[in-house]
Amino acid sequence: MGNDERLTSSISSKLETRNVRKEFGSGSQRVLAIEDISFRVGENEFCVIVGPSGCGKSTLLYLAAGFEKPTSGEILLDGKRIEGPGPDRGFVFQEFALYPWKTVLDNVAFGLEIQGVERKEARKRAERHIDVIGLKGFENSYPHTLSGGMKQRVGIARALAYEPEILLMDEPFGSLDAQTKKLMQRELLRVWEHHKKTVLYVTHSVVEATYLADRVVVLTARPSKVKGIVDIDIPRPRSYTDEDYLHVREEILGLLDEEVNKAFDKEKPALSAMD
Amino acid sequence: MANRNGLKGFFLFLIPIISLVAIWEAVYLMDIIKVLPSPAQASNRLVSLAMTQRDGIPLLLRHVGTSFYRICLGFSLAMLLGVPLGLLMGLNRYVNFLLKPLFSLVLPLPTLAWVPILLIVFGMGDITIVIAIFLGGFFSITYNTATGVRGIDRDLIRAANTMGASRLTMFTRILLPGSMVSVIAGLRLAVGYSWRALVGAEMLAAAGEGVGSFIFMARQFSAVDDMFAGLVIIMLAGFVMERFLIEPLEKRTVRRWGMTRD
Repeated sequence: MGNDERLTSSISSKLETRNVRKEFGSGSQRVLAIEDISFRVGENEFCVIVGPSGCGKSTLLYLAAGFEKPTSGEILLDGKRIEGPGPDRGFVFQEFALYPWKTVLDNVAFGLEIQGVERKEARKRAERHIDVIGLKGFENSYPHTLSGGMKQRVGIARALAYEPEILLMDEPFGSLDAQTKKLMQRELLRVWEHHKKTVLYVTHSVVEATYLADRVVVLTARPSKVKGIVDIDIPRPRSYTDEDYLHVREEILGLLDEEVNKAFDKEKPALSAMD
Repeated sequence: MANRNGLKGFFLFLIPIISLVAIWEAVYLMDIIKVLPSPAQASNRLVSLAMTQRDGIPLLLRHVGTSFYRICLGFSLAMLLGVPLGLLMGLNRYVNFLLKPLFSLVLPLPTLAWVPILLIVFGMGDITIVIAIFLGGFFSITYNTATGVRGIDRDLIRAANTMGASRLTMFTRILLPGSMVSVIAGLRLAVGYSWRALVGAEMLAAAGEGVGSFIFMARQFSAVDDMFAGLVIIMLAGFVMERFLIEPLEKRTVRRWGMTRD
């Protein structure tokens, strides 16, 4: 369980959440989104957070990004407490959040320019990232002319371009169709192996989590705690039909199912009150 | 907006104008309104205004030039102050909290209601007219810009925050382009409002020059064809500003960026 995790060695941990708690609102409107979450993500590790819908996994990612502050507890990046948003983190949004008024190249170069990299150099480096992500030839396109999958390629290149310490990804392929999603998962792993970055990735899909992760953190229904942590050492590329893969997937599903049922049971009294 | 390229687009654009002239001509022929001049009389008057010179400058150019000069000053002022203030209102909760009630109170005031006050403070002449034009455009530009900023997808702002954007960068490179659809809507309204303000203010505060005072002076001689010539000039002026200021701006920004449909 999550709390035991804290006691293990901290030498290689890149990101650490310590007893994070998050409440929204106040008084009778108060909602406890996250009760107590502690876990670590190692250097270069691909860590995926799964949990029943509405459990606060995106909230946790927003806390790591610094968009929100925890009510208590803390999140450490390289041992330093996260106090707000900053360029040591790259964020990939579910709805891409590309700048419609910037071309692909300018979207990717923007972070570097903000960091004070000279425009020409920024564009050169951005071009390399665009090349790696597989968008060569689209440098001067505007986002609205791209497909969803291509947009998220830009989103990933943009987050990687200014070389953050960690990539935070909020259901990045959630709005893509099934085919594109699979392709993008493969592409993401290819890019991840190319850059060797630490990744914290949120999804509700166990299939996706098992395909991508070195380590899966399963959260409980709201208010969320760590339900369990599953380490996966199946070599990549993983096959969706491989026995080991299926075994791990079932293990995670087992953890998650209990929570999904719990979340459902909580809704039940409300439902029966309606008829 | 219709595609104005090509012959088809040109005809599509002409149809409403030709229809308007046709209705005008029909009403004239039916003689329902006694004072109404025919479209031909009004345009003849326009031609003669363009031909008649005073001090070496055609009368038409004098009136139109003076009005355009005032519009340019008042409108630019409204834009230069309105857009940044709108961005600030959209960005900062406290600025918005302080200014929004003021705006709600002032917004429904007709610009013309200010003119008598301006006349007392600044007297007859350009300053009063330019300020009236400014007031006509300023509120809609500011209000629309602020609304636009509040409509910007929060993730766009978050992304820039993550990259470490400074306040200035956020202002000029995220908030301004991000609210451009609304800014342009505000400018478009402001073009209309500022011409209304101009004509009204010129009637009250101009000494002889400008389209508004031209129309007003025509009253003394019951020169109805002058008045209608004036109306046509104002319509054309609004059209010119839409066509050569607002539309190019729109085309180069929000339409190119796919932020609005064609």
